[in-house]
Formats: sequence, structure tokens, C-alpha cells
Amino acid sequence: MKRAEYKVPGGKLLVAETEVEEGFLTTVKVMGDFFMHPEEAINDLEEALNGKETAKIDEIVADFFGGKEITLFGVSEEDFAHVLKLTLES
Amino acid sequence: MTETWRLIDMRIEDAPTQMSIDEAIALARPKGETPNTVRLYRWDPSAVSIGYFQSVEKEVNLEACEEKGVDVIRRITGGGAVYHDYNGEITYSIVAPEKDPRIPRDILASYELICGAIVRGLEELGVDCEFKPVNDIVAGDKKISGNAQTRRHGVVLQHGTVLVDSDIRTMFQVLRVSDAKISDKLIQAVEERVTNVRRYLGREVLFEEARDALVKGFEETFDVVLEPGELTEREEGLVKELHEKYSSREWVYQR
Repeated sequence: MKRAEYKVPGGKLLVAETEVEEGFLTTVKVMGDFFMHPEEAINDLEEALNGKETAKIDEIVADFFGGKEITLFGVSEEDFAHVLKLTLES
Repeated sequence: MTETWRLIDMRIEDAPTQMSIDEAIALARPKGETPNTVRLYRWDPSAVSIGYFQSVEKEVNLEACEEKGVDVIRRITGGGAVYHDYNGEITYSIVAPEKDPRIPRDILASYELICGAIVRGLEELGVDCEFKPVNDIVAGDKKISGNAQTRRHGVVLQHGTVLVDSDIRTMFQVLRVSDAKISDKLIQAVEERVTNVRRYLGREVLFEEARDALVKGFEETFDVVLEPGELTEREEGLVKELHEKYSSREWVYQR
């Protein structure tokens, strides 16, 4: 399990945990004190990333937020991609 | 004529019931059966509520909670962990349609407006404080209120904590601030970043006095009259249904 934390400047804390096998995400969990409406969309984001190549994190996160009516507060969609990629370096 | 909103006044309930009531009011509101509603309430037993996206294990010292009889619950709203001290804390909630002309569409602006009601209430008590983006109220540089909002079914639900006489030492025993390695010195520094009305004013503040001030803060901010009322039968039914979710391990420990 790889874990990373990212405090968005002037914003909220994002925590990500991932497991990677041969370049593919096998576990994805995003936590923190941020706001996302509707809240349940976090499960869909994790689901969208699960089983995908780590090289495609940016693309998948952008597609995910692009295709849905999701409101973020205290974090941006780029921050999600950022904290997920940070786990790969840990 | 001044509009009347419903006030559900200082109900004392356990954590699953309180969270069920807030969600039930938000669910019933779009049907138009109920007016805009403000609640003021206390938690019995004391409880830690964590944000929707937070990890229980990482935010809460579960052993300390068990030892002290403090309940643990996950909120429907994001944001951070809060210690709801039965003896020293008032929680508020407000439910209104997103399209209400008084509620800004912009989320930050709506936090500022609703938190403004709490600021007015606290000022009424003599606490000089201000809204601090993104979702806090501070007196001096110390946090005295934390707030969390969700929007669903065309409704805004915001709830938040007002620290009247919360036991700040216990707060940081039941909440995990950083990793387990945190030193006593650091704990002290963290405690210095939070205050409560009693500590700020240097005098005892009864719940009744704080309640009256908060009611006034809401009435003045929204130019409404808060009229004490009860939950409708439908809302009470929803509370019963939702209680099962909020008290389940699956809900509380999902992250």
C-alpha cells in the first residue's frame, strides 16, 4: 500500500492510498477533509481508476470530472490527479 | 411581512439520530411540505463526527472514545472531524432550497452568508470573530466554529459546530491531529489554535444564552422569524429509516 498526503495551498487535505501491480492500479482510495457534491461520486472516481494504468491517471481523472456534474470545494480536479501520482513516488 | 422559518430547538439526541434528522429535513424540503428550517442541537452522548471522505482510524482515537463513552459517526457532509461535547457544544443546521434568493449559488459565498449568522450570534455574546475561508469561524486566530455544507436534491444543508464551553483537552484526546508520534509540546500548540466562548469571554455562558444569541444571529442575517416547531410525521419516519444507516458499521467504517 502506497500512501501520500497533499495539503492544497489555501484549501483542504487530500490523502490517497494506492496499490499497483505491473503498472496497473489495483487499489485506489481517496480521503481527506475536502468537499465534493454529490459525495458518493468519490466511489465512482475510485472505481474509474481501479484496474487502469498508472500512466493514465491524469487522463482518467480529467475524463471523470469532465463527464459529470460534480462540484468540488477546497480542492480541484488536478489536485486529485496530483495526490494519486504522489503515491507512485512514495 | 417577515417570512417565518421553522426552528427545531435544542433537541438532545444521540449521534445517529442527529445526523438522521438533518438528512430527513433535507430530503423532505424539496417536496414543499416544510419551510426552511434551522436547528440548534446537542449530542448525548458526546460524539466525534468525521467528514464523509475521512478515515475513521486516521482521524479518531477509538480507544480514547471507548474509554470516555464518546460515540463516533460519519457525516453526510465533507470537511473535518469535530468533537461534539455534550457539556459544551451547540451544533446548528440549516436547510433551504438552492434556488432561495437569499442563498448564493456560489458555494464560498453561501458559506460566508450562513457562517455570518453564527458570527452575528457570537458577536451578540461579546465574541469578536470573523468568517475564515474556506469554512471556519475564528476569534482572534483561534477556531471557534467549523462548518460543512452539502447540496443535493436542489437543497442546501449546512451544519456546523459552535464551541461554547467544549473541553478542548478531551477534544484532542479523541481526535487524532497528526500521526501517533505527536509530542506533548505539539499537542499543546494544537490546543492553542482552538478556543470556546467561555474561554474567550472569561465567564460562564449558559446554553440558553448561547441559544438565544444564535437564534438572533439567524433572524437578523436572513431577515426572518424563527418559530419553534416540530418535525413532520414524514420527517420522523425518514429519521427512523436513516437511523439504521447512520448507526451501521458499514456506514461509519466505510473509509
